[in-house]
Amino acid sequence: MTVIAGIGFTAPWILLGLLALPVLWIILRAVPPAPIRRLFPAVTLLLGLQDDESVSDRTPWWLLLLRMLAAAALIIGLAGPVLNPSRDETGTGPLLLVFDASWAGASDWSRRLNLIDTQLTEAGRAGQPVALLRLSDPEPPVFQSAEAWRSRLPGLMPMPWQPDAALIEMALSSLDTLEGGFDTHWFSDAIDYDGREQLLPALQARGAVTVFQTDAPIIGLLPARYEDGAIQLTATRSRPDGVQSVTILAQGRDPAGNMRMLQSATAEFAEGETQAQTALSLPSELRARITRFELQSLRSAGAITLTDDSLRRREVALIAGNRNREGLELLSPLHYLTQVLIPTADFVDGTLLEVLPAKPDVIVLADVATLSGQEEAELVEWIEQGGLLLRFAGPRMAASDLGRDEEDILLPVRLRSGGRTVGGAMSWGEAKGLAPFAETSPFHGLSVPEDVTVTTQVMAQPDPNLADRAIASLSDGTPLVTRKALGLGQVVLFHVTADAEWSSLPLSGLFVEMLDRLAVASSAKAREEAQLQGTTWAPAQVLDGFGGLSDAGNLAGIDGVLLASGEIGPDLRPGIYENGKQRLALNVLSEEAELSPAVWPANVPVRGQQRNRETPLGGPLLSFALILLVIDVIVSLALSGRLGLARAAALILGAVVASPQGHAQDGAETGFALSSTNELVLAHVLTGDRKVDDVALAGLRGLSDTLFYRTSVEPAAPIGVDLERDELAFFPLLYWPVTPDQPLPSDEAYSKLNAYLRSGGMILFDTRDADIARFGTASPNGRKLQQLAAPLDIPPLEPVPRDHVLTRAFYLLQDFPGRYVGPEVWVEAAPPDAQQIEGMPFRNLNDGVTPVVIGGNDWASAWAVDRNGQALLPVGRGYAGERQRELAHRFGVNLVMHVLTGNYKSDQVHVPALLDRLGQ
Amino acid sequence: MNAALSLRERSEAEAARLPPLLARAEHLAGTVLLGDHGRRRAGLGDDFWQYRPAQTGDSKRMIDHRRSARGDQQYVREREWQIAQSVMLWVDQGASMRFSSDKNLPPKADRARLLGLATSILLVRGGERVGLTGTTLPPRRGNAQIIRLAEAWSKDEAEDYAPPEHRAMIPHSRAVFISDFLGDQDEVELALTKAADRGVRGVLLQVLDPKEETFPYRGRTIFESIGGSLRHETLKAGDLRERYLDRLARRKDSLLQLCRATGWQLGLHHTGDSAQAALLWLYRALDGGTR
Repeated sequence: MTVIAGIGFTAPWILLGLLALPVLWIILRAVPPAPIRRLFPAVTLLLGLQDDESVSDRTPWWLLLLRMLAAAALIIGLAGPVLNPSRDETGTGPLLLVFDASWAGASDWSRRLNLIDTQLTEAGRAGQPVALLRLSDPEPPVFQSAEAWRSRLPGLMPMPWQPDAALIEMALSSLDTLEGGFDTHWFSDAIDYDGREQLLPALQARGAVTVFQTDAPIIGLLPARYEDGAIQLTATRSRPDGVQSVTILAQGRDPAGNMRMLQSATAEFAEGETQAQTALSLPSELRARITRFELQSLRSAGAITLTDDSLRRREVALIAGNRNREGLELLSPLHYLTQVLIPTADFVDGTLLEVLPAKPDVIVLADVATLSGQEEAELVEWIEQGGLLLRFAGPRMAASDLGRDEEDILLPVRLRSGGRTVGGAMSWGEAKGLAPFAETSPFHGLSVPEDVTVTTQVMAQPDPNLADRAIASLSDGTPLVTRKALGLGQVVLFHVTADAEWSSLPLSGLFVEMLDRLAVASSAKAREEAQLQGTTWAPAQVLDGFGGLSDAGNLAGIDGVLLASGEIGPDLRPGIYENGKQRLALNVLSEEAELSPAVWPANVPVRGQQRNRETPLGGPLLSFALILLVIDVIVSLALSGRLGLARAAALILGAVVASPQGHAQDGAETGFALSSTNELVLAHVLTGDRKVDDVALAGLRGLSDTLFYRTSVEPAAPIGVDLERDELAFFPLLYWPVTPDQPLPSDEAYSKLNAYLRSGGMILFDTRDADIARFGTASPNGRKLQQLAAPLDIPPLEPVPRDHVLTRAFYLLQDFPGRYVGPEVWVEAAPPDAQQIEGMPFRNLNDGVTPVVIGGNDWASAWAVDRNGQALLPVGRGYAGERQRELAHRFGVNLVMHVLTGNYKSDQVHVPALLDRLGQ
Repeated sequence: MNAALSLRERSEAEAARLPPLLARAEHLAGTVLLGDHGRRRAGLGDDFWQYRPAQTGDSKRMIDHRRSARGDQQYVREREWQIAQSVMLWVDQGASMRFSSDKNLPPKADRARLLGLATSILLVRGGERVGLTGTTLPPRRGNAQIIRLAEAWSKDEAEDYAPPEHRAMIPHSRAVFISDFLGDQDEVELALTKAADRGVRGVLLQVLDPKEETFPYRGRTIFESIGGSLRHETLKAGDLRERYLDRLARRKDSLLQLCRATGWQLGLHHTGDSAQAALLWLYRALDGGTR
């Protein structure tokens, strides 16, 4: 295969044909185009005019160019071009494929497999033996045929950890088992790790090394922390290039127990930053349900961080020393605690022995001095499993001998008897404020309000360990809050009461913050090595390299110390670990993790991952040439006037764009809405009787024409509406001819009709029987009308009074004949309190359009015209009949005017008042 | 039987074309308010003109008693002299008029008939008599005449360039010729001089397609008249443009000269423009002439 400019040709000699193009150009130019035949009446003016030159207009240059392009595409296409031709650049010796195979490459693993597949194919073609080495899970490499490896490719999975020094050591030793030289293709995940520098020279010593790695930065998600009332989420990336934003999804179970996305947040990497932070403020209910956070559309273990107990909603048991003061809620020692904890915690009620089996997260003992032996034993056991015991001092504790001589196991410090009182009426000194929190204190960073004062407290004995255990002190240095660890849990003592009797601390916002810190700290603490010493944690669920969470099965338990180290590897898989009730999440990235990009020495060629497959270009080029030729045919025809360009375009479009059937319904609806709203449209109800419908349509056509000629209302062609299917809101007026056998509309149609009437629509009912029977009794149409109108929301009716606005909306009318001259037409009754205005021929009626007009004069027949505008049906006899038809038209005009303008004409009733006001 | 049926069918098809033209013409005419046709002098008519003292020779019947009863003198009530004018129209039905350069543009014939009919409607409403030149449809008044005119104009002629019909023109009447005037110039001259001899004044309205004004053609082209009777082949149509426009201008100029010599008025209308403007001009031109 000959390669020219990166494109290979299977038959390069055909390209010589390109040399013929200039010749073709000249020939094509020389041949004049066929003359265009044009019809042109002014040819009389052209007769006798001579052409200046005998050379005709040449083919337009762009058409020539089109033909040249077609010819060139044809020639090149026949020469068999191939994009990205494989070049025989790899040697013939053995080939070692080395993978980082860590989580960082998981998100584009399939592309990597494709690349490997391509290389294996090439190696197979070249007969090279191939060996594979996964650095994250090194096994001694064995040289095999490429085909054997290809069949095993799908089983190649990334691991949820990075290779580390130990793994590289293993890999190096396994390399020693290989004999002879080999070339290496190293598929790097673009992340640096320990030991990479040792491996590279070892490989280079055996042959050429080529590195394949992606250019895109690797993004990972650091474990979520709960701080400042919100979940702090941090994403990190390997390279600080450019602005990039990532979406972090919080996944959890909804109340129904299904996994779904509960919340999402967007973090943005600023230019030059490798970390992006965002905070997710969630109600604690929701927060407790979150099981993991993940980066959207990134499929790797590093883009996922699992959550454990630290985000859970805590269960708190409140136990007070004296619960006998019922009814004095504000004086209850637990009142302030309850108020503080309500938003963030669930309460467990009961006595101490009752609540302990429920294993609450926190137990608060407010001024409880004495515990029975069983209570104490169970409490200690609970704390050692990770419970937090929060104790408050009080008069009872101060009076008791608790922790006097030796340290009580349930108190952090020894206490001096009696406590002390400062700032009171009977004591020296002033009430004490709080000292700033020390750096080692969990309260560090909280601001101390000046108005928090302590007047009474229990005092700690100055034991050697007191300084370690005090986490908050008064301004004179006496401890205010002390803490000690006990097993996995801890005991915290506030040296004041939980109510405001001894101090103003429970009244302040600081109290809330302190409790918050303590509650959160209780789980984070569990990570520390000292706390985990000697424990064994069973993996419950483990992550794979793609971030999928699977059941741990029978994986061995993990020693707490190893867990605390957080060094993820084959021995410590990331996932969820359990010890009793405590759950601990071990994530791929620790909180301090930084992703540093892999840097390769200059002598190692680094390639992108996209190694394009061979793509034969012959087919597309030949198709292109064919399309060009088709265009040329169409254009040539159009130029010679034999084919309308528009028609050709329509033809092509018609062939190419086959309108999908699914849109037909939508299109029809939209078309209906458009055609009914682009212009004013009169409509009639389809009765199902073909003849009646035709006459109704013709009648409305006649009325529309009349309106068009006589008024500024210019309606478009009328349409018939199906009450069941069509939207009515577009029509100001519905003409409803009544036939005895039309079906009753459905309930939905009636609700649509009622909505239509209420929103200002009007229905003209026409019984078409000249109302011979006076509504009701004998006429079948009348009876049908009663049936039809029964479910409609129709107000009381009356025959059109002489002063109704219908009599003068456009024409002055006395009666309303159609094809028949019926006795009466019924409209909405005027309110009984309508007043006759002095000097005016009509009453003062309120506004509004009558929702129905009912008559039997068969107006549509009188209005009806055929398509040529000729009257369709005879009315009356001779000129009297024409007069009647004219009046019928006038009624129609008045009706439409009434619908469109309301009681505008009735407003003349106010003319005297207006004139009066104008001073006339 | 068959012949009768097909005749019936054809006539129905013909009739179907009539009303739309009529309707459009009426709609167009509806946009023009009728001007006054009073002769500004006493005569036969409906409108009051003046009271004048009765003179000898006036019959007793002519005395207006209502006015005379106010004083001693007797008055005669005079009415304004209103006279119906005969207007004769000729609309070119030749094949050359059936040309439109774009499917969005109406053929010239269509526009010419529309204008002719709308003018007729206006004139009939104003009480004038309207008819065709020639003997086929002498001027009459009334709405029925409009129908007849529309019927007459719904027939195409096969001839390429129809010469103006100038026979049977009523002396001292008015005339309207609507055509593209691309045919033989001598025929137009003959018609106009003949009309002028008879004291007929009138209006020439030249209806042209926009492409006939701009001649935007290029390349090797064979130009053919609509009827196919004339053809002209050129190798470079673009080069003819200047000379064509020059000839067109000369054609218009000679028409203008002809009009000046005979006291007619010349109007130009393009099918790309609104018909209403042309109708207004046409109506004013006629109206101004009748004063």
